[in-house]
Amino acid sequence: MATATSIDRPPGSRGARVPLDALAGAVGGIGSLTLTGLANLGTTTRFVADTGLAIARDVSTWLPETVEQMWRLGIASMPIALFIASFTGIVLALLASYSFTGAVPLYFVGTLVEKTVTLELAPVLTGLALAGRVGANIAAELGTMRVTEQVDALETLGYDPLPYLVVPRVLAGGVMFPIVVAASMIVGVGAGWIASVLLLHLSTPEFTKGVRLFFNTFDVEYGLVKSASFGVAVTLIGCARGLRTEGGAVGVGRAATSAVVYSAVFILVLDAFWAVTWLLGHGDAV
Amino acid sequence: MKRKTDILVGFIVLLVVAATIVAVAWVKQADFGKRERDVVARFRDVGNARVGNAVVVRGVVGGRVQAIELAPDGWVIVHLRVNPSVVFPADPVVLLNESSLFGEWQATVIERSALPHDDVVRREVAEAGRDGRTLPGATLPGIGKLTAVAGQIAGDVASVAERVEVAFDEQAARELRASIKNVSDLSSVMSKVVRTHAADLDVLSGQLQTAVASLNETANTVKLTATRIDSATTSPEARSIVSDLAIASTELRHTSGQIRELSGRFASTQTKLDAAITNGDSVLAKINAGTGSLGLLVNDPTMYRQTDSLLTELRALVTDFKANPKKYVSVRIF
Repeated sequence: MATATSIDRPPGSRGARVPLDALAGAVGGIGSLTLTGLANLGTTTRFVADTGLAIARDVSTWLPETVEQMWRLGIASMPIALFIASFTGIVLALLASYSFTGAVPLYFVGTLVEKTVTLELAPVLTGLALAGRVGANIAAELGTMRVTEQVDALETLGYDPLPYLVVPRVLAGGVMFPIVVAASMIVGVGAGWIASVLLLHLSTPEFTKGVRLFFNTFDVEYGLVKSASFGVAVTLIGCARGLRTEGGAVGVGRAATSAVVYSAVFILVLDAFWAVTWLLGHGDAV
Repeated sequence: MKRKTDILVGFIVLLVVAATIVAVAWVKQADFGKRERDVVARFRDVGNARVGNAVVVRGVVGGRVQAIELAPDGWVIVHLRVNPSVVFPADPVVLLNESSLFGEWQATVIERSALPHDDVVRREVAEAGRDGRTLPGATLPGIGKLTAVAGQIAGDVASVAERVEVAFDEQAARELRASIKNVSDLSSVMSKVVRTHAADLDVLSGQLQTAVASLNETANTVKLTATRIDSATTSPEARSIVSDLAIASTELRHTSGQIRELSGRFASTQTKLDAAITNGDSVLAKINAGTGSLGLLVNDPTMYRQTDSLLTELRALVTDFKANPKKYVSVRIF
């Protein structure tokens, strides 16, 4: 075969064929990547749209499961979230006093703790912590159901897995993330106050003066809306990754890992999105 | 079990929601019982005042700014929420001013008579108080404006320093030194002239004294002769002549006394002038010798160099002050 090729081709044609093959490979790679990306986008969009439709369609299916998921995703996650928030508040207070170094009045510790906790740290740190706990949990659970063909069994019996498996988790995430974050805000600012009083010898009136100085209800609204979006994103990603699991136990592990990674990335992307679309320019209007 | 979970989840959700609402209301100092009273003030401009800023009466926080809204005819209406226990002074006015260097503003309620002596502020207050329904208000300049004025002052000082440096250069110092030396020389010449003429004045004075003595003697002789004539003659003509001669003699004596007195004064003046010239000469000699502060100022170039160095440092200080006013101006309010 090789001899025949060498006989058929004119002299010098092999050198010209190699760059053409490389170019075709590169273009093919780009095309393949584009097609894969578009396919993933389409699958994800259809998954989100189906979930939205399922919320409106099968209320009786998802409603009983939702409270159970609220407990598992929200209430059960409360200790780790509050633990993170309390230490964040303490560290913030100490960092603020260290940074001010006498140049800025110490009651601004209260301002910094309140603003940072409510606007950014409580939603994002809690979201990241819950992305690890909740996202991995959902992906592993649904992934196991997929590889053990429990999901297939549901479909065979004529049940749509979305209202039964996905919608309760997404709704629970959207409702409970703000609840957990609200508790984190209170605990974070409270921890900052205790640290300021005990470690920085700042009086309670001074700390509260700093908290009230630039406080706006918008701070809390912004943090809670942001955390609700984090909750929906984390649970959707976990469900999507779990239901697309393939390859047994290894596939389940891979699905859990990718759910955590995608959730963390999405939280940061959404954080920037909200900052650009909502926070930017709001300061002048307050 | 399911029922228990539902109740627990619902309870925790409600608890967190309630805690959040209470916390926000506490931080915002919400007035649910409507016990606080609203006061409305009118301003032309509110600077950087914001909702939530403190309302201060006699240095005590007695409320906060509740709302700020634009009003017709270029006015800004500020709603103040004040504690019920706070009593405003008689004829109150509201001043918006910075309470710290960190963007914090406050609304200070004071009596109109306690307004700062600033024509702009007083005019603003008078204009804002014309409607009679709201408290009149004015805004005091912020740190930015004060810094700008300080920068302008620093620029003026730098300009003055520059001009002083231009006027008092090395050439000027040299000329000043030469002028003082010339005055010293002139004084020395004058002293010599006065000494020379002092001898002549002594001679003149002696001659005058001699002349006066002679005149005195002559007058006595005339008087004696007249007396003799008076006693010798009894006729009225002769008596008249004698009388005239007596008067002339008296006037001559008086003139002689005046000349003597003038001569004495002249001698005294000469002595004083001599002493003054001697003293001046001594001082100028010291200056020329470089003794004392004035002598050092005239003869020692170190003085000029130090003055020149001082001006250079002053200009650097002013430039640094303009560049970093906060380094030198420290306003502490808390």
